Amino acid sequence: MLYNIAAVPLNIDWQQILLHLLNFVILFAGLYLLLYKPVKAFMQKRREHYEKMDKDAEEQSKKADAARAEYEEKLSSCDREIEEKRAAAKKELDHYEQMRKSAAEEEADAILAEARKKAAEEKRHALRAARREISALVSDATEKLVLKETAQEAYDQFLDAADDKHEEPRA
Amino acid sequence: MSKKKTAVFLIVAAAVIAALVVGIVLTDGLYEKAGSVNETMQDAVLHEGDKISFFGLAVNPAVLSAFVVTGILLIFAAIVRIFVIPKFSYIPSKFQLLLEQAVGMFENLAKTNSPHRNNFLGAYLFAAGAYISIGTLFELVGIPWMTAAGASVSLPAPLSDINGAIMMGCLSYLVILSGGILSNGFRGVGRTLKEFSLPISMSFRLFGALLSGLLVTELVYSYLALSFVLPVVVGVLFTILHALIQTYVLTMLTALFYGEVSEPPVLKPKTKKQKKVPSEVTSK
Repeated sequence: MLYNIAAVPLNIDWQQILLHLLNFVILFAGLYLLLYKPVKAFMQKRREHYEKMDKDAEEQSKKADAARAEYEEKLSSCDREIEEKRAAAKKELDHYEQMRKSAAEEEADAILAEARKKAAEEKRHALRAARREISALVSDATEKLVLKETAQEAYDQFLDAADDKHEEPRA
Repeated sequence: MSKKKTAVFLIVAAAVIAALVVGIVLTDGLYEKAGSVNETMQDAVLHEGDKISFFGLAVNPAVLSAFVVTGILLIFAAIVRIFVIPKFSYIPSKFQLLLEQAVGMFENLAKTNSPHRNNFLGAYLFAAGAYISIGTLFELVGIPWMTAAGASVSLPAPLSDINGAIMMGCLSYLVILSGGILSNGFRGVGRTLKEFSLPISMSFRLFGALLSGLLVTELVYSYLALSFVLPVVVGVLFTILHALIQTYVLTMLTALFYGEVSEPPVLKPKTKKQKKVPSEVTSK
């Protein structure tokens, strides 16, 4: 019998080893198909599900970050635009102010020139009038002085003549 | 003394007296052996006198134990496959968590120890782990069976039989060898054969560890006085510890050696040898 031939000390029996092996192979196949594979497949499916969720969340986060960056970019460009517009407005205002100032200065110069011209004219008129008045006064004074001297002289001559006439009879 | 206290005193006194009487009766003939310890030990190791009939074959009781354990595990797996796994949810229940933990533990053991090739290894470790742990715990049930000689025998752990242990050790070695061949071809064979003592050490470690538990239990049970409280500690605790430790040891060793032999070889970068310039040329 194979059983007796194969038997070795310590009761090691090849037939029983093969029986144990057969038993384990059946167990391995059964456990693999019924338990290990389905549970592992489910765990893998769940892992993929959560990885997908994680990936989606990451993508959403990236999109949100991109939108935020874009918004911030827009905001900063808007700020820049506002700043530029403000600078342009300020420049325009300065220009307008300058124009107004120069116009005012021109006007002031014109008014001043006109005033100066009028003042000069008035001065000329006044001088002319004063000259006329002075010359009138001088002529009047001259006339009065001349008349006064003439009357005095005549009075003196009269008196001299009167004296002469008075002295001659005595003589 | 009140009536209540008197009643308590009387009950305690009666209990003490009863315990002493029982002790005196039981210690009559204490440490008498139920049979020859040598015979018991020899039967436990060699199973020469307790062979049972298995489909017409005279086999050790452990063979039947092995098939019973396999039957239990497969029925359990089939029930789980039909009724539990289809109801698995992403937020696991306690039982689902237990199953996932069991599968994940062996899968991770395979992945961490053998990162290059681990699909088959994970499944093998799971089956071997389940077989060793449940098979070892199976001896706690102590199913009685009739031997071919007509005596009664309690079904032992499948791996407390040397044939079962040799099968497990050698199969693990063959699995390691297969990993080596598939990953590295002839180099893998060489790497596996280098560990030629592995099947013997694995087999006898398993056999020795489980047999020692069995022998200690047999020894304890062979004395009447030691068979009251001590078996709870010796039998149950030792068996549970053996189940855990041997499962861990065999699966860990298999994974470790499998990973070692299936690791792809690291090619050393070839260094170009510089041509020697003749000394005459250099001196000139």
